Amino acid sequence: MNELGKIHQLIIPFLGHNLTFNLEAIAMTWIVCGLLIIFGLLATYKKARIPGSWQILGELFVTQFFSLAEDALDKEMAKKYGPLICALFMFLVLSNWLGILPHLEEPTRDLNTPLSLGIMGFVIAHYVAIKTKGLKAYIKEYFEPIFFMMPLNLIGELAKIVSISFRLFGNIMGGSIIILVVSYLTYNILLPPFLNAFFGLFVGAIQAFVFTMLTLVYISVQVK
Amino acid sequence: MPFDVQTWIGIAAYTGGGLAMGLGAIGAAIGEGYTAAEANYALSRAPQSAGDIFKTMLVGQAIAESASIFALVVAMLLLFTDFSSGSLVTVFAVMAAGLSMGFGAIGSGVGSGFPAAAACTGMARQPAMGARLTTNMLVGSAVCQTPSIFALVTSFILIFTDFSAEPFNPAGAAVMGAGLAAGLAAIGSGIGGGAVAQASCEGIARNPGSQKQVVNVMLLGQAITQTPAILGLLVSFILIFKQFEATDAIAPGMALFASGLCMGIGAIGPGIGEGIASSGGVRWIAKNPSIAGELTRTMLVGMAVAESTAIYSMVIALVLIFVV
Amino acid sequence: MAIEGADLVKAAAFLGAGLSMGLGAIGPGVGEGMAAAKACEAIGRNPKEAGLLTRTMLVGQAVSESTGIYSLVIALLLLFVV
Repeated sequence: MNELGKIHQLIIPFLGHNLTFNLEAIAMTWIVCGLLIIFGLLATYKKARIPGSWQILGELFVTQFFSLAEDALDKEMAKKYGPLICALFMFLVLSNWLGILPHLEEPTRDLNTPLSLGIMGFVIAHYVAIKTKGLKAYIKEYFEPIFFMMPLNLIGELAKIVSISFRLFGNIMGGSIIILVVSYLTYNILLPPFLNAFFGLFVGAIQAFVFTMLTLVYISVQVK
Repeated sequence: MPFDVQTWIGIAAYTGGGLAMGLGAIGAAIGEGYTAAEANYALSRAPQSAGDIFKTMLVGQAIAESASIFALVVAMLLLFTDFSSGSLVTVFAVMAAGLSMGFGAIGSGVGSGFPAAAACTGMARQPAMGARLTTNMLVGSAVCQTPSIFALVTSFILIFTDFSAEPFNPAGAAVMGAGLAAGLAAIGSGIGGGAVAQASCEGIARNPGSQKQVVNVMLLGQAITQTPAILGLLVSFILIFKQFEATDAIAPGMALFASGLCMGIGAIGPGIGEGIASSGGVRWIAKNPSIAGELTRTMLVGMAVAESTAIYSMVIALVLIFVV
Repeated sequence: MAIEGADLVKAAAFLGAGLSMGLGAIGPGVGEGMAAAKACEAIGRNPKEAGLLTRTMLVGQAVSESTGIYSLVIALLLLFVV
């Protein structure tokens, strides 16, 4: 029970402020990145006409998410932002599933990971908006439909970052807490595999998909 | 106070535990009852699919149950955890934990009953779509449980955080506000998310070819419907983790309590409204998949406007915490 | 605890502000949601009129918002003016 709140942190004083690094989240993120790089290499090193199993998996991800991107954006933007969507989904689904393996925990369990991915999506969406519509039209949009809606529109945009990040964080953290506490209460008999299957695999995959879809929708809403 | 801290903590823990389970039982029971009612009606229309409909009803009811199982877990924790190291603030914290999970389980319980009911009805209409309807119901119900998971996270944090460093006034009122914010805010989003999932199951049963678009828009709609619950979670986190200075007046404490109350109650309406809006969008995308893009955009715009009162509530809540 | 009268009044003002905005947000939320749902239905039945239907939806939602704005005003008054 005392394990719930413990995070190993590395605190480095720098220019008067303290830089805090949450070691577990960083290490787990590196593991996820390493696994993704290995998967990428395995899926593409042969490029046969009749694909081997890794290549099939890679093609599955790419075709699904590129078609999603094409539904939401037009062809040329979909080519540009498709890889982002694919990478985001693969990173998230692997991160959320990492908690099932013993002694590893999900990097998305720490609020910093979903928050930074959310801010990244937000910055990309607004960058795309300014690039396609120009600065003037972009700023004018905040004043629609009535002039004094501006602060509310602004807060609404910021609320989008909060909602997308906290949703992922809340689901993953909540799931891992439930698994921990219920396993503790039932003395690790019978329930843990089912809990892990539901909260780890099922909810993890759905939340990764929802995060990716929302990022895509935010980008496409800015472009239209 | 004539009693010592341990007695007060005991009183609050047991009351909170009772409230958690009592309130938490409401939603799941209503949802499961609705599912059973619709399943019966579906059985009367299509007795030959009895086995499938019955199985779907049981599975759907099991997922609707999970919200009240969370409440059961919290209630057990409150009854059996050793709080001997607690301070006065812990008295309010454990009560707030019970209220948070109790209220939080209402919405998701009721909401998860809707897609299960629609899946049973759909199976009577289109027995061939049985497997796809069940999968869609599972996905929709699971996402619908998210607001109660948020309430659960808040309850756990309230039970297990060490509050001894905080001054009783106003931290006591702050944690109470935190519990109410997370718990009440989950009601609306739970019911709304269920309405969306219900529309998607219905839509897939009517028009199996539209499944891909319907599922995508269902997930999108449910995710946005959960935003008021997320705002409630945010306000409750701020209330729990912010350092407050000790004070003798009751106005600052009341401000923090009112901020939690404001965000909590204020998130109910927009949650339900966004769910209704999204269910309308999903239902009509199923009937007319070719204009899915147009309908999605209209749905998103409508939902964004419906969310505005939730944002006002959040602004007032934040003003009450930080400015006043 | 010796509670001053003025302090109690301030506390009540805060509570009132919270309740005002909180309860006041319920109605507009549900109402605007229903408006958006029916707009989706209308566009589903008649996609050509999408522009007119969207405009009508927004106007209807803005009118429905008015009570929410009254609650916001009262909440702000209770916080800062009274």
